[in-house]
Amino acid sequence: MTNQSLQKALSYREALNKAMHDAMAASDKVLLFGQGVNDHKGIFGTTSGLADKFGAQRLIEVPLAEEGMTGICIGAALNGAYPINIHIRADFVLLAMNQIINLAAKYKYMFGGLFDIPMMIRLVIGRSWGQGAQHSQSLQSLFAHIPGLTVIMPASSGAIVDSYAHAVQKHRGTVISFEHRLMYDLTFERDHEPEVLGKTPFSQRRVRAGTDVTIVSTSIMSLEARRAADWLADRGISCDVIDLHCVSHIDHDVIMKSVGRTGRLLVADTSWLPYGVSAEICRIVCQNDPGALKAPVVSLGMAPAPCPTAKALEDIYYPNLTTLTDSIATLVRGKNHGIDLPHERSMADVYKRFKGPF
Amino acid sequence: MTAPSASLLSADLSLSLYKTLYMTRRCEETIVRIYPEDNMKTPMHMSMGQEAVSVGVCRAIGGNGDVIASYRSHATYLAQTEDHGSFFGELHGRTNGTADGKSGSMHLADIPKGMLGSTGIVSAGIPVAMGAAFANKQKSPGRVAAAFFGDGATDEGVFWETLNASCAMKLPMMFVCEDNDLAVHTRKSERQGFNSLVEVVRKYKCDVYEDDTNDVESIYALTRKAIEKMISSGQPAFLNIKTYRYLEPCGTMQDSDAPYRRAEEDAYWKGRDCVALQRKRLLASGLAEKDLLKVEGDINAAIEKSVAAAKAAPHPGADLLSYGVFYETP
Repeated sequence: MTNQSLQKALSYREALNKAMHDAMAASDKVLLFGQGVNDHKGIFGTTSGLADKFGAQRLIEVPLAEEGMTGICIGAALNGAYPINIHIRADFVLLAMNQIINLAAKYKYMFGGLFDIPMMIRLVIGRSWGQGAQHSQSLQSLFAHIPGLTVIMPASSGAIVDSYAHAVQKHRGTVISFEHRLMYDLTFERDHEPEVLGKTPFSQRRVRAGTDVTIVSTSIMSLEARRAADWLADRGISCDVIDLHCVSHIDHDVIMKSVGRTGRLLVADTSWLPYGVSAEICRIVCQNDPGALKAPVVSLGMAPAPCPTAKALEDIYYPNLTTLTDSIATLVRGKNHGIDLPHERSMADVYKRFKGPF
Repeated sequence: MTAPSASLLSADLSLSLYKTLYMTRRCEETIVRIYPEDNMKTPMHMSMGQEAVSVGVCRAIGGNGDVIASYRSHATYLAQTEDHGSFFGELHGRTNGTADGKSGSMHLADIPKGMLGSTGIVSAGIPVAMGAAFANKQKSPGRVAAAFFGDGATDEGVFWETLNASCAMKLPMMFVCEDNDLAVHTRKSERQGFNSLVEVVRKYKCDVYEDDTNDVESIYALTRKAIEKMISSGQPAFLNIKTYRYLEPCGTMQDSDAPYRRAEEDAYWKGRDCVALQRKRLLASGLAEKDLLKVEGDINAAIEKSVAAAKAAPHPGADLLSYGVFYETP
């Protein structure tokens, strides 16, 4: 599986715009719903220009009514439309949980298969510059917990373009996609797209192959894991980095084959650790072959607290390249690993520079 | 510039309202000036242009009530607390802020001053204010609660749920709609399937008041009337106060060129700027300009002191990271 549809280097933002464009061009059943889909900012540019091409009647500027609008999308979906509902912060979807969990996730099943609910909910994770407790949450495990939902966390432009095309054209259920705001300005070259480890664009991806330690990561942590792995490769540690991508449907074989080879596992998620992605990966390993591990699992994510605004606390709230690299080195070589660590306090320069627009 | 009517309030109150208005405006002008220094690492939702609503209403509450602000919380917080020291501390992410720097611009609070918070989720504070009204009715008769929210929040179901419940339960609850016609960039006409919110709300068992003067004294007097009626009748009040947001929805910049802006609307509201209007009234009443300049100079100096204190205050330490996650009586 390769990224056929990505022809060149694209920023994450451009990929999102292309994915929206391609979806609307492929079928006039595709409708965009959200606050700001049709204003001059166009959801950080990801819906800009689409009204001119496809007509404003297909980009529906909605009242602030998250639960109601989600129900409207469900109704449109079961009547033949493909709605894409966009929230500029993942936190705002919490107002729509009833429709998503009690209806969208269950409609197919509880009516004995009568209805499909083909639709997508795009959610943007905020981070940095004091986004704070209510504008920065990474809520993937809440949704991945629910049977009937498919949850993806695209970590490259190729992952966006291919997965969104697959969602719209092939997938018949509700897809929840978590996009990371800090990736919007990053450019991904097609030649550096991770290898897709399965039959569909929702499959897990291999960011880097290695033999000493398995790193399972999500979203922007996959980028950090790649940076840490590159650093450590020059210092004799070989990391097998798997970008989980679809956190709700994980290919156990992919995880187990890697862990079976390396004997060591580190999980780097964008969210809290308890009951989350790291807990799920541990469950998979423990149920399949706990003897595969030569060392205790290490997991990295947000500190177990709401996100503080103060930079001094935000800096220690999230794992950074230094702590990630140190954790990997410690897992492989022990506490006195003697490996020098990258100096960046916070990760990519783009993180440091980020000041909105929000 | 619209000419203000003569004041019907005492000279002291007139001047006092101006001081708070001016302080609020000056705090935000200071933010605009120093935000590019990057010491305040938090998104800003600016009140500029809308200050008369918060200042008039909070002064009318006069300390005998509790307030929940919208996410555009600066003016409400400053009007209710008069405390720009904690305000700038919080915006700078320092321990002398309202929340040790953990809340930033969107979650300002001060319990002793009846500022029960503000949230980053549109409309989420409205039922919380109703809860405060419920508690006040039981334990502090005569004390009211007010929810500030924009007209965008009235699109949300929880606004209508709270309106219905407050009216059914006869609570001392004041709904304060800061009606700037905009939800981020979207006009009411694109979002609402009715012509007049106040006409709809009039069907509920509450008293409805409207203001479109942008005049802090008018808003103050209207709110006093609403509170007195609320206490005597035992039913909620709904205030719809027309206002105008000067700056972009999030950030400290002008966005006059944005397609949603209308030049004539902008000129109309800036021609009746609430701070300028009250200043003009004070001068017309006989207050000497040099005295007013002295008042303004003192406020300016106090704000500069608050900014300097914020910059000098300690950053929160790691021990504060988990404070408030799991808590019980010792």
